[in-house]
Amino acid sequence: MSYVRIAGFVTLLLRLLMAAVGPVWAAAPLPADQAFQLRAQLDEEEGIELTWSIASGYYLYRERIVVTLDGQRIRIAAKKGEAKDDPNFGLTEVYHGTGIATVPAELLPEKGRIVVTYQGCAENSICYPPISKTIDLATLLTEDAPATSGTEPSPPVRGGNEEKSGVPTWAPSSPGGLETEVGMLGGSVVSTTLAFLGLGLLLSLTPCVFPMIPILSGMLARAGGRLSVARSFVLSASYVLAMAAAYGTLGIFVAWSGENLQASLQTPLAVLAMSAVFIALALSMFGLYELQLPQSWTPRLVAVAGNKGSIGGAALLGFGSALIVGPCVTPPLAAALVYVAQTGQVLRGSLALFSLGLGMGLPLIAFGVLGARILPQAGVWLLRVKHVFGFIFVALAIWMASRVLPVALTATAWGGLCIAVGLYLDVPSLFGEPSWRPGKLATATSGVLALFYGCILVIGAALSDYGPLQPLISAGLVASAPDASVGGFQVVSNEAELDKAIDLGRKQGRGIMVDFSAAWCTECRLMERNIFAREEVQRQLAGMLLVRADLTHFDLSSKNLMQRFAVVGPPTVVFLNPDGTEIADARVVGDIGVDGFLNKIAKASGV
Amino acid sequence: MINPISRAGFLRLAAMSALLVIPKQARSGDGEITRDMILNDPDAPVAGNPDGDLTIVDFFDYNCPYCKMAAKSLEKIVKADGNIRLVYKDWPILAETSIVGARLALAAKYQDRYLPVHHALMDIPGYGISQEQMLEAVSKTGVDQRRLDADTAAHAGDILRLIKRNLSIAEAIGLQGTPGFLVGAYKVNQALNYDGFVKVVADARARAKSTK
Repeated sequence: MSYVRIAGFVTLLLRLLMAAVGPVWAAAPLPADQAFQLRAQLDEEEGIELTWSIASGYYLYRERIVVTLDGQRIRIAAKKGEAKDDPNFGLTEVYHGTGIATVPAELLPEKGRIVVTYQGCAENSICYPPISKTIDLATLLTEDAPATSGTEPSPPVRGGNEEKSGVPTWAPSSPGGLETEVGMLGGSVVSTTLAFLGLGLLLSLTPCVFPMIPILSGMLARAGGRLSVARSFVLSASYVLAMAAAYGTLGIFVAWSGENLQASLQTPLAVLAMSAVFIALALSMFGLYELQLPQSWTPRLVAVAGNKGSIGGAALLGFGSALIVGPCVTPPLAAALVYVAQTGQVLRGSLALFSLGLGMGLPLIAFGVLGARILPQAGVWLLRVKHVFGFIFVALAIWMASRVLPVALTATAWGGLCIAVGLYLDVPSLFGEPSWRPGKLATATSGVLALFYGCILVIGAALSDYGPLQPLISAGLVASAPDASVGGFQVVSNEAELDKAIDLGRKQGRGIMVDFSAAWCTECRLMERNIFAREEVQRQLAGMLLVRADLTHFDLSSKNLMQRFAVVGPPTVVFLNPDGTEIADARVVGDIGVDGFLNKIAKASGV
Repeated sequence: MINPISRAGFLRLAAMSALLVIPKQARSGDGEITRDMILNDPDAPVAGNPDGDLTIVDFFDYNCPYCKMAAKSLEKIVKADGNIRLVYKDWPILAETSIVGARLALAAKYQDRYLPVHHALMDIPGYGISQEQMLEAVSKTGVDQRRLDADTAAHAGDILRLIKRNLSIAEAIGLQGTPGFLVGAYKVNQALNYDGFVKVVADARARAKSTK
């Protein structure tokens, strides 16, 4: 389905956005064991080969690699490293990427353990204490060496258990570290603004903006043929500015409250209310009534604007649609949240979000201006255009309400809409003069098709077997996609239930995957369909306890669930050790594709 | 593939929204670490403005090249700002001689010569500094050598306990390596240049203001 492809595109763009924001927190150092990963391999002739995989931006000192057997240092053959000559350091030899050293076979007994100690730094950032690992000569099992005890303070050997203190970490967002990194967000306010403006433009190529096009054009069409180019520019601009302001306001609220405002706007009440607004707009498009501001307001507004079509109304519509219509609010919000929280600069963060919204809206302005030219000046055609938008508004209303309404009801509504469109297209030709012009013929054919599909949908809904293509699949017209529903998830909606699940995992010694999801989260549906339903993913998840944290009803308990793992919004997948602690770096935010997800599972299961 | 939001990023967010200052108790139970121990350990050397509105805690090692580079910027901003209190936490973790250096500097404190000795040791560039190099650098500071030896012996237990306290504090706040800084409520586990310090100092003050 093309929707899936489009949503995939959104995800890609958002990842670009995230990548741009990346440098803000990329500066925090990795735990030592992630920066330097040691692997031991047995070579019958040579001995034991030690290989370090070194994260990019990190290096290992060649001369600090020490191997001991029973407390005695033994000779090793370490590959030549790269010379690092720094006026501050003097000449040293270091490994980047990979380090290899061989412990000669003739020095090693059959059984026993060697202790490997090594040490490295992050380029221009920090130096780690020596890391000690024991390697069992029989099994080559590598473990943390026990910290040597004694009166002397010894270098503590620690795992990757960072951030346990809860002290907020500060990392420079601009050339603050010794390393001069130029992040997109690092520079001046101007460059930040421009960066977000560009990202907004990219986002405007996605379905985030699609729902707004009919709203805007509907608004312009309603104003009728009296629109000058300048006027439609003013209207579109105020719509877009208000939309951008909505994002900016969101940024401020988020910075202050630290909460995901979108979640509260996605409550059934808000969604249904917006849906009702669309129905009202649709009815007005069909000419049932004219939407106008109270008489007493109009003169004032007209005096200000000097023309028909209210700027205030446009702005109101823009503000509302940005907050509630766009399915893409969560990810930019998360990005801005991170940014704002990182820098602690409320205004700058909200300015960034404002420019994001502005970028998203610029094509809308172009559309509004050009659209006004393209739209015919008056006559039957304008009426037709109004009606088309009426139908689109109804479709938007159904689409929004579908997040909170039962599927059968939604399907019936879609079916009803299709039938209505079909009748609208066909009835005039039934009663009018028979005409064989291609245009009329096409219209009539689409009408028949719409009628046909509508009926199927309604019947399908009655059988409570919903999916836009489901009726066709049953009819054998379209090949069936893999089943989207995945069993095996234990659904929890509060912390007590989650604790119970974690307890179960601990008893059974199984890792846990917690999928934060909600009925209104479209991307979660995509993940279920495209990732969780895949056979290879299911195979990898087989040993794990699968838990779904349901955030559909955004209340205190779901808020607590989110806070516990610092989840900004669904979809987020968190992997837990059997003891309930989160596995570092395995967290998944948003749809990252099957391969990305499989990688994360591999990380989570320690492969 | 770029990980959209790292776990650390998320935790940082959580920490920021939940904990705006260093927790009163970073670790409970035996050997508990308190905020007071981190900021006001009576044995830990202090520089800068003792009544400054912002405290920076510096965790460093005399074998850490990046500590030495960052230290110059740090000293500079403490001086330029005039309202920063600087706490030194000797954190000898990189090499055997790190402990030698820490002992020398901390023993010099008993004759009020910690800072000259500290600066002399930090001025030896690079890593893998030998004991001889350290002793030579210290002897040039004009410190009373005999007194230094006597204090090293007499206060050996106190010095060791202080170093151990520093080790557990650094572990409790989750520092990965040297250098590490606490700037107000923020933890900075990497070397910074002067601009970096200017920024974090401003951020830390802004944070302190907003939580008041």
